[in-house]
Amino acid sequence: MVGIANESVVFFGHLSELYQLAKEGKIETKLQGSHTRPCKFWTAMKILSGIKNTVVIAHGPSGCAFGVKQAYKLTNCRNSGSPYESIITTNIDEKAIVYGGEKELKGAILEVDKKYKPDVIFVATSCATGIIGDYVDAIVNKIKPKINAEIMAIHCEGFAGEYRSGFDLVFRQIVQLMDKPDSESRSKLANSVNIVGGKMGPERTEIETDVKELRRLIESMGANVNAVIAGNCSLEEIKQAPSVAVNCTLCLDLGYAIGREMLDQFDTPLNSTILPYGISATERWLREAAKHLHMENEAEKLIKREYEAIRIEFEEAKKYLAGKMAIVEGHDAIKSLSIAHMLERDFGMRAVIYNFHPWSTQARETSIDYLLETGLDPEILITKGTLAFGKYEAMVQTENELMEYLGDLNPETTVYFGSSMSFPNIPVVDLNAILNRPRFGYRGALKVAKCICTALEYSFRPRSWVTKKMVFPEDSGLCSAQSLTPKLAQDLPDCTVYAGRERGKCMMS
Amino acid sequence: MYDELKFDNCNHSKDPMVGCALEGATGVLAGIKDISIVIHSPQGCSSTVSAAYDVHEIDFTKRKVACTRLFETDVVMGASSKLKNLIEEADSKFKTKAIFVVGTCAADIIGEDIEGLCRNIQPQINAKLIPLMAGGFRGNLYDGIELGLNALFPFIKKQKEKIPDSVNLIAPQANLNPTWWADLKWVRETLEKVGIKVQAVLPHDTSLEELDNAGLASANILLSHDAGYKFGVKMQEVHGIPLILSDIPLPIGLKNTARWLRAVGNYFGVEEKVEAIIKDGEYMAIDVLRRRGLMMIPRYRNCRVAVSADATMGIGLTRMLFEELEMIPELLLFRSPVSDSQLLLENELNDMGITPKVVFSADGYQIKQSLMESCVDAVFGSSWEYYLAEELGIKFVFDVFSPTNRQNYLNRAYFGYEGMLNFLENVANDWERALRSKHINWEEYS
Repeated sequence: MVGIANESVVFFGHLSELYQLAKEGKIETKLQGSHTRPCKFWTAMKILSGIKNTVVIAHGPSGCAFGVKQAYKLTNCRNSGSPYESIITTNIDEKAIVYGGEKELKGAILEVDKKYKPDVIFVATSCATGIIGDYVDAIVNKIKPKINAEIMAIHCEGFAGEYRSGFDLVFRQIVQLMDKPDSESRSKLANSVNIVGGKMGPERTEIETDVKELRRLIESMGANVNAVIAGNCSLEEIKQAPSVAVNCTLCLDLGYAIGREMLDQFDTPLNSTILPYGISATERWLREAAKHLHMENEAEKLIKREYEAIRIEFEEAKKYLAGKMAIVEGHDAIKSLSIAHMLERDFGMRAVIYNFHPWSTQARETSIDYLLETGLDPEILITKGTLAFGKYEAMVQTENELMEYLGDLNPETTVYFGSSMSFPNIPVVDLNAILNRPRFGYRGALKVAKCICTALEYSFRPRSWVTKKMVFPEDSGLCSAQSLTPKLAQDLPDCTVYAGRERGKCMMS
Repeated sequence: MYDELKFDNCNHSKDPMVGCALEGATGVLAGIKDISIVIHSPQGCSSTVSAAYDVHEIDFTKRKVACTRLFETDVVMGASSKLKNLIEEADSKFKTKAIFVVGTCAADIIGEDIEGLCRNIQPQINAKLIPLMAGGFRGNLYDGIELGLNALFPFIKKQKEKIPDSVNLIAPQANLNPTWWADLKWVRETLEKVGIKVQAVLPHDTSLEELDNAGLASANILLSHDAGYKFGVKMQEVHGIPLILSDIPLPIGLKNTARWLRAVGNYFGVEEKVEAIIKDGEYMAIDVLRRRGLMMIPRYRNCRVAVSADATMGIGLTRMLFEELEMIPELLLFRSPVSDSQLLLENELNDMGITPKVVFSADGYQIKQSLMESCVDAVFGSSWEYYLAEELGIKFVFDVFSPTNRQNYLNRAYFGYEGMLNFLENVANDWERALRSKHINWEEYS
């Protein structure tokens, strides 16, 4: 690439090389203090928010419950038409910190069981109650006979693990709510799958979403979806989940935890593949599912039928794209890798992932291991801006570094895949924008192709000076990545920050 | 007087409508210019601080926050070294005049000596270091605002002399108007019209220099009925600045605005100027309503309503709805404790001769139960109440408070005369939308 030896380069090479350097400690993988991700409590709550008729009791001060309620429950009301749902706090105060919060927790459990009558009560610990050592498990076990609901403790203190640990913890734990399959239940659900690795709640009603596309494909093959775990699933669906023919991951990274647990405990097969961006990944996803459903023939017919429906437009787009270079914004590790996979396999493009934070090599270890095993080993470019401490210049810096690398590259031969809030001098394709959905499956493949072609078609138009100035004001001060919500929405799972006061805060979900 | 409702099964479990002390405390700090915040906490608390910046709508390119991202080893072994390093880095990179070092639950409980550490490393740090323990368990959002305001005392210089006809404005952000800074602007502009100088706002977009000079004010005005009262009293004791206007509602609606303005006029001896503002404002508001809002008379009269808000908005709004719109406030739901304003509320209700049902520190469950058991036709609230009432089949829900689904590109006060019109415009639009058919049989027209 142009400028490969530039002094602002921290790393340029293949993912496998970066991965190895990270393992050997030869590249900094620590996340800067200016960069925060949701904590274990928040990510645990995101999964729990996706189970219907459930009440979570956050055992701690009100802020932990309130923040999550704003971010997840309010968003579900707004976007998906969910009814109002509570997240409860025991609202412990200084007295409880000193003397223990057992009384509050016992009382809360009994009250919640009476007034909400949920199927499940989850007791989620927060930092305060974790540190003071409230004996949550004992309380939960002792109170179980006195209530109607199922009840489970989730130890998800914010300090107790990195970002993804909350996801993994809950996914593993809810397996304990599941019933062991028998021949009757397996027979009943022999033509069913679970889609695993979902979170937060139901899909939007007014647009085509990725989950809807996957569901459509499964049903078109002649199978059924028992549950999306945990995207608006019920306790009943969870209980019978192990009896399905196969679990199919929605997100490889998140779905693997629950899928692996169910495989180990119940021998429920796991179809664990890359995010089904594009045809190649979708075919793999479908064929793996079909194998366990014993619907191989149906799958092949479906694949043929689906591809034929989009073939003309898709192949036309493919001609347009083959041989071109794709710069893929690396803020979201899994998405960027999945997009790189699609661009290489489906469109014959050369993909380079730009500014993939080395921290992701640890945070996303499961997925990276898998992808490397499949033979995907994309090029990675990391510049100093990615590792800079919270200066706003970090954002300008990465933008300028990108410009420098693009140099005199022809806009007709290079495409940037990333946020619309980046302003490189080449066509920008924002696959995360709400109008560019679905992204999965065949309809998604066509949608992506159309997005790319549109971006190229209008590449003659300079980027708006208005929007550029909104993102890069002349007199900007310092900021931290946590504040860069609009730009880095892809970097944070959908709406993991406060829903805030305005709808726009959830524009990426 | 009011009829306070009681609820079963609500002693130990709350569905919170307000955040914790950390959000309140950092919501004060976010109002100060040229400072940065180092949060000594697990990384999730950073989202709470981000929400505090959202409240002040700080440009995302100007937020200066860093987090020690505490994990288990830090909780067990302590994290002083980590904190020290981060403070040094924040000082070097952010280059602000002050750094507030904020401890949250984890740091607070394990006893991190933030104060000692700040004192010890201050000589090698350019910024002034201010420690602040704000563990969420120290209270609710409003308690946190008091904590945050108290953290500002070191910046307020003691002054023997006072500038005549000058005021500080306290706690403008404890206000559920989605663009509450427009209320602050209205207050500022109105005071300036009558010759009263605003010395400092405590705080919104406030510089350290302004804080330094806050002690020169000859009076303090509290812009919230929910927070800041204790701070105001302490300012009176420490700096000799009296807290005025705390015994009347904030200027919401025509009568309350006139009362508030007249109280200002009486205190500062500018009665004539105030009367001119009142006359012009009332004329303007009523003239607009005569031309554009006449239909509200039959629509709103004797409409039984619930108000779900904070005390800052709710107390003043009750009179406006009852006397000026001729609605019947059946149910008042305060998400705040209303601890320092309960007497004000009682006096207001007695003066109006009504006895609505009231809930203090209302949580989501209590709001829903109250609405379910009441016979109201309409609800004034936020998007939360919008969804609750929708589920209960209440037809009219006015989404006027935070968090709102309403897109606001323009700042709209609720205080004052134009503020009343802003509020009523929102109400009128929600009313119209509520009656628009949702299920249209398109086949009949094809």
